[in-house]
Amino acid sequence: MLRVDTPNFPYFLLVGILPWNFFAQSLMMSTSSIVDNGGLIRKVWLPIEVFPIATVFFNLAQYLLAMAVLFPMASFFFRVPLSRSALAFFVVLPLHVIFTLGLGFFFAAATVFYRDVKHFTEIFLMLLFWLTPIIYDVRVLPGSLRATVYANPLSFFITSYQDIFYRQIVPDPFHLLVLFSLSGLSLAVGYIVFSSCKVRFAEEV
Amino acid sequence: MFPLIEIDNVSKAFTIRHNRTNSLKSSFIGIFHKRFRETKETLWALKNVTLSVAPGETLGLIGRNGSGKSTLLRLIVGIYRPTQGQVRFPNGARVGAMIELGVGFHPELTGRENVFLGASIHGLSRGEVEEIYPGVVEFSELDSFMDVPIKNYSSGMHARLGFALAINLNPQVLLVDEIFAVGDEAFQRKCIEKMEEFRGEGKTIIFVSHAAETIKNFCERACLLDHGSLVFLGAPSKAIEEYHRLLAS
Repeated sequence: MLRVDTPNFPYFLLVGILPWNFFAQSLMMSTSSIVDNGGLIRKVWLPIEVFPIATVFFNLAQYLLAMAVLFPMASFFFRVPLSRSALAFFVVLPLHVIFTLGLGFFFAAATVFYRDVKHFTEIFLMLLFWLTPIIYDVRVLPGSLRATVYANPLSFFITSYQDIFYRQIVPDPFHLLVLFSLSGLSLAVGYIVFSSCKVRFAEEV
Repeated sequence: MFPLIEIDNVSKAFTIRHNRTNSLKSSFIGIFHKRFRETKETLWALKNVTLSVAPGETLGLIGRNGSGKSTLLRLIVGIYRPTQGQVRFPNGARVGAMIELGVGFHPELTGRENVFLGASIHGLSRGEVEEIYPGVVEFSELDSFMDVPIKNYSSGMHARLGFALAINLNPQVLLVDEIFAVGDEAFQRKCIEKMEEFRGEGKTIIFVSHAAETIKNFCERACLLDHGSLVFLGAPSKAIEEYHRLLAS
């Protein structure tokens, strides 16, 4: 099997798994955010977008808190100080949030019409976890497998975080361009789908 | 004078889905098994309703269960979109929420917290809620219970807090859906008085009720709906008469 020769592996793992948790939790909670608030949506007029947005920001707050704990611990236990590459976090994070929000919009709308999307999302996330280089470094993979991993858009985000905090380099411009396009695409598709069927939410929930 | 709300030939269709497939699983199975396929039927909850409401008017809506009264209110608020026709606000009026009791209340939160939650769901800012808060407490007469979680409230207390909040939201147009069935007689009287006060202030009220007396005493005009069609529009006493004839037939 794979040789694990990733130094400071616990730190590597945390750097990848915290943004993953943010993504996965946001997605699961957004998926049911409209259906769970059906009672409200049927009775009060309100901008329905707030439900997925609030969900993502709630999880973002948790993610940021976890990060705030991670870095002092990391410099103490693993002797990994933050380098200047950490500034790239402020580029990658907003893109990651937008990417998550777009998917959140899409799945929230889909669940209104197909209630079992929620369960499919759970299974899909489980599969996605193993296709994302969180517990393994994408660099130890042979070329063909690496292509498979990068077919998963989330891999680009997670490896960027690892670049920034673990390898302490700024992600290369091509990588950032991919993040930018992915998040733009996700938000555009998610929001268009969401707003084109939101007038029917009150009747369907 | 422009009407405040113009309901122009509005129809609303709902889809009744028999053998409803609301999961990907059953839609998928439906491809192979006819038995699991859904069939759709259209129900017209409202048919070609035309109605305009003048500013300061008190309009009563009556009709049997399922005649489309609540659907009409929801169309006015904007929760539903009309299938045909248009709902217009020529003066750009801000139609407040439909007044239903205790919408958005959370059982674990205290009375005070629920007032803030409920009001902000209806779009009030924190400052605005703080302004109306004393009025809510006074009207509900729940001064000593505001720090108690509302899961411990009696149903009457729950309704009183809901009504007190609703009445203090101060919308330009008040949409009231059947809420006088709550509380004891003294509280009901208080609610009616408050509504009278609103009317005195020149606010527009649209009012759904089954109580013939309230409609007769309170409304200037009444509108009778039956199976989604506007059957009668005019003097409340005449509308009640028509309504009783409908019920008898």
